[in-house]
Amino acid sequence: MSEVKNVGQAINRIDGIVKVTGTATYATDYILKNTAHAVIFKSTIAAGKITKMDTTDAEKSAGVLAVITHKNAPKLNAKGGIRGGALLQSPDIEFYGQHIGVVVAETFEQARYAAKLVKVTYEKGEAKVDFAKHAKEAVLPKEEEKADAIRGDVESAFNNAEFKMEAVYETPIEHHNPMEPHSTIAFWEGEKVTLYNGSQIVNGAQTAAAATLNIKPENVRIVTPHIGGGFGSKGGQWANLVLTAVAAKTVNRPVKLALTRQQMFNSVGLRQKNQQKIRLAATKDGKLTALAHETTTHSAINNEFVEPCGDCSKVMYETPNSLISYRVVPMNIILPTYTRGPGKSTGSFALESAMDELAYQLKIDPIEFRIKNEPAKDPSNGKPWSSRTTVQCLQEGAKAFGWEKRKMEPRQQEQGEYLIGYGVACGSYPARQRDTSAIVKLSRKGSDVKATIELAASDLGTGTHTIIAQTASDALGIPIKNITVHIGDSSLPPAAGSVGSVGAASFANAVNDACNKITDELLAKSGKQFFARPTAASLMVSENIAEFQTRMDAKPPADADQYSAHSFNANFAEVWVNKYTGMVRVPRFLAVTGAGKILNPKTARSQIIGGCVWGIGMALTEESILDPRWGNFVTRSLAEYHVPSNLDIGKIETIFINEIDTKPNTLGVKGIGEVGIVGVAGAVANAIFNATGKRVRELPITPDKLL
Amino acid sequence: MRPFIYTPTSTVSAATQKLKANPHAKYLAGGTNLLDLMKEDVEKPTELVDITRLVLTEVKAITTGVNKGGITIGALGKNTDTANHPLIRQNFPLLTQSILAGASAQIRNMASNGGNLNQRTRCPYFYETSMPCNKREPGSGCGALEGINRMHAIFGWSQACVAVHPSDMCVALAALDAVVKVQGADGKERSIPFTDYHRLPGDTPQKDNTLNPGELITSIEIPINNFANTSYYLKVRDRASYAFALISVAAGVELEGTRIKQAKIALGGVAHKPWRALEAEKFLIGKEATEANFKQAAELEMKSAKPLEHNEFKIELGKRAITRALMQAMTGGKA
Ligand SMILES: Cc1cc2nc3c(=O)[nH]c(=O)nc-3n(C[C@H](O)[C@H](O)[C@H](O)COP(=O)(O)OP(=O)(O)OC[C@H]3O[C@@H](n4cnc5c(N)ncnc54)[C@H](O)[C@@H]3O)c2cc1C
Ligand code: SF4
Repeated sequence: MSEVKNVGQAINRIDGIVKVTGTATYATDYILKNTAHAVIFKSTIAAGKITKMDTTDAEKSAGVLAVITHKNAPKLNAKGGIRGGALLQSPDIEFYGQHIGVVVAETFEQARYAAKLVKVTYEKGEAKVDFAKHAKEAVLPKEEEKADAIRGDVESAFNNAEFKMEAVYETPIEHHNPMEPHSTIAFWEGEKVTLYNGSQIVNGAQTAAAATLNIKPENVRIVTPHIGGGFGSKGGQWANLVLTAVAAKTVNRPVKLALTRQQMFNSVGLRQKNQQKIRLAATKDGKLTALAHETTTHSAINNEFVEPCGDCSKVMYETPNSLISYRVVPMNIILPTYTRGPGKSTGSFALESAMDELAYQLKIDPIEFRIKNEPAKDPSNGKPWSSRTTVQCLQEGAKAFGWEKRKMEPRQQEQGEYLIGYGVACGSYPARQRDTSAIVKLSRKGSDVKATIELAASDLGTGTHTIIAQTASDALGIPIKNITVHIGDSSLPPAAGSVGSVGAASFANAVNDACNKITDELLAKSGKQFFARPTAASLMVSENIAEFQTRMDAKPPADADQYSAHSFNANFAEVWVNKYTGMVRVPRFLAVTGAGKILNPKTARSQIIGGCVWGIGMALTEESILDPRWGNFVTRSLAEYHVPSNLDIGKIETIFINEIDTKPNTLGVKGIGEVGIVGVAGAVANAIFNATGKRVRELPITPDKLL
Repeated sequence: MRPFIYTPTSTVSAATQKLKANPHAKYLAGGTNLLDLMKEDVEKPTELVDITRLVLTEVKAITTGVNKGGITIGALGKNTDTANHPLIRQNFPLLTQSILAGASAQIRNMASNGGNLNQRTRCPYFYETSMPCNKREPGSGCGALEGINRMHAIFGWSQACVAVHPSDMCVALAALDAVVKVQGADGKERSIPFTDYHRLPGDTPQKDNTLNPGELITSIEIPINNFANTSYYLKVRDRASYAFALISVAAGVELEGTRIKQAKIALGGVAHKPWRALEAEKFLIGKEATEANFKQAAELEMKSAKPLEHNEFKIELGKRAITRALMQAMTGGKA
């Protein structure tokens, strides 16, 4: 029996070995006999209709097995839950790069070549692709949650205020660009299809694929034990998943379909461009009197998704008057979707820049300014906080970072050709547990007890396998090496997705509950009374049981939603701006996070570092640029879409607040995947102002913006 | 990928003969540019003549002739090896710096010197085959002229093409007055001064350089100079590594006492070819090496710049970058 507690220990990932030795199986790593290869081809206009499609040459090309287009594709259910359309159901074109066909061939190269031989004639429609031109046509979103949220009277508070600021902040279209492009292997056995496919929500992928293919969910199996990142783009599933199934059915063989990096830019969603107008008003001593956060953005022409940019503004600061609103314009651009820290990362850039601007105007230290406006309860709904760590994050961070060295006035610190500045920004992300089921199976040989944990969870590379094993190990009294974690398969008990920072809380609590349940059942089976509660492992031995299993359908605590539960953070950036060239370096970054129970400080730290890198990318380098005439992305590979390189990232430090908050869930796990990016871009932008005196409100802050 | 014939060769004459026999054949060196372009269906050679086995990899000192004291580098030498060669590190640190400022370590390990000269533009419209591009498809129009042209030219562009040459190495070679040695199927060698090697787009942007069809680059010669310790390569880019230049400057300053005897300045990211800043060079002859003079030289040079819709910033950036590169050159980048 293991006495060492594993939860809370910085142990290595249990899937580390298979990853570094290259034996971890990602979606297209499965080798199936007789696999054919599919390549998608895409529209070269942004709006209009296909009037003619000549596939003769492609069909005759060497190795080609099938060419599937809207003319011969099977009828699919466009409302089945696949995001973004492009299901080859009609000749209509809604965005540039929409899928218009699939070539299936013996080899990938043959399929790619044949795809070039398809001749397409279009009737061009009027494409709405220039956001600057169409922003003024934006209307209220249909989604209820995006209705205007009004408290008090912002207008009069703003008009009467002595200290106020108003500015528009712009964030560009971004792409998720996980290392593993979206890829699938499909094979049919009678009515049943198996899909090897990176899926953040295993059961969601199953139901969407089934509904779209017009088959029963039990006839779809999703297999996804390892995922090479997703960041939201593998949360919902896109047409490529079901088109692989269609292709496999058509040629009656297993089919592999992997999007190319270039195709990723108009296949699997994006983070939309946002124009955020912020108005803040405050009293002379720094109490906020008004906060308005008005977002204008775009969505797909026939489908709505609006990033919740105003979310942080709802909860971060106390103010009697507040307005959060959204306006959206449908455009001929692929459907936007969840992207790391959806709404909060972009929204916090606007809000936290604005807070910095007003603090400077008031000549109040930006940390003090934030603390002055700390809300006692959730200002948006009046609920008590389950716990709130903003002040602690700010204060501990200030100490660790050496904030006292920062000067209020910009351009006070120089070294060689660099101007040096410090910036701070806060963030938050909701903490939730979602329904998740899990099976625990125990087996014993002599005194050696082994456990297998089964649930349809997913591991994006974040450490899901590991935290499940840690939780089970403690709850069962079985060492980690004797625990097998079986996830990423829709035939396992249904689980929440690795999305919206619900994964760790949902999986760990469900597994913990399941392990407690199996212990209870073993106790009952033994019929004995124990002085101290024995572990499941010891009961298996003492009761001489060879095999035992149970299933738990875990739910969040009944009263969880009586509280407003969030992870909170404070971010500190030091930037060096080259006086001559405008190039920015971030030699030092600190993220202080209050996210409840940290199951594994090592994987948690990696998550936060990842969030910081993403946020620094958002601040300085990442941008997808559309040609406003034609709607194509001119940034179409990782050579032009600049994620930060190693050299762009300096030292990133992380601190976790030691916090126990069991109101959102039994284990007090709050989630870190999303909060890590929230506030990061704001901290960098604020540091750039402190360094240079220049306030850049349009991301990314490339050298030309600092000349 | 379109089907193609793969032909390995081991001598210069065999390689050049192959290209003479098939005008749709192309030389394959490191492949870091050509293979990408083939995958994207931009380049469509029917035959790849693999030249990586040609023994043209050496870096050596030139011991005779007009360029005595200079060095010659083989066309098939790897970018990494060239940058790190002791002769180059010592005598031509400008070249080392420029090579190391380009691409990534992995790409430089594959990339050859000849391939670096002949790499094609990074204009996104050139890559996207559904877009108009006179360079890829003469007569189809220029997608960038009125499109997204932040990365494009401010000097020497034409209505037909506003692309820039993407190389960093070539910017240094232009400043170093290098000479490109080429050989055709007839066995004759030609020497092309570096600044004449690449060309401006004019009406024929499909031609990047003055190489005749089928000619092979065999080596690059660099004459000795007196600014090994007073040179600097400055690259301004959107991220710290692995990004093409917004603007780059290769600067070498030869001093006589406190005065400038001659300055060699070339700019990258501004034109269809590495752009020698002749105005600035002319102004600096005989002047004191001061920041004020450098600034004035930069101002003069940028006067004739003609920005496009999205790249006006390159004028101010160019002035600053030239000034800064010259300042840095004074200490060999140690300031
Ligand atoms: C993502 C990415 C980023 C990059 N970033 C940079 C950068 O920042 N700065 C920079 O300078 N470069 C950059 N590069 C470009 C890189 O330097 C070039 O791709 C490389 O130098 C080409 O050399 P190669 O040997 O691979 O050429 P290949 O791809 O083999 O050939 C390129 C062309 O040259 C021709 N050719 C090759 N050798 C000869 C010869 N001896 N004689 C005649 N013709 C020849 C080929 O036929 C072909 O047309 C980048 C490349 C990539 C992929
Ligand atoms: S700039 Fe040159 S390469 Fe770019 S689209 Fe125009 S013609 Fe083509």
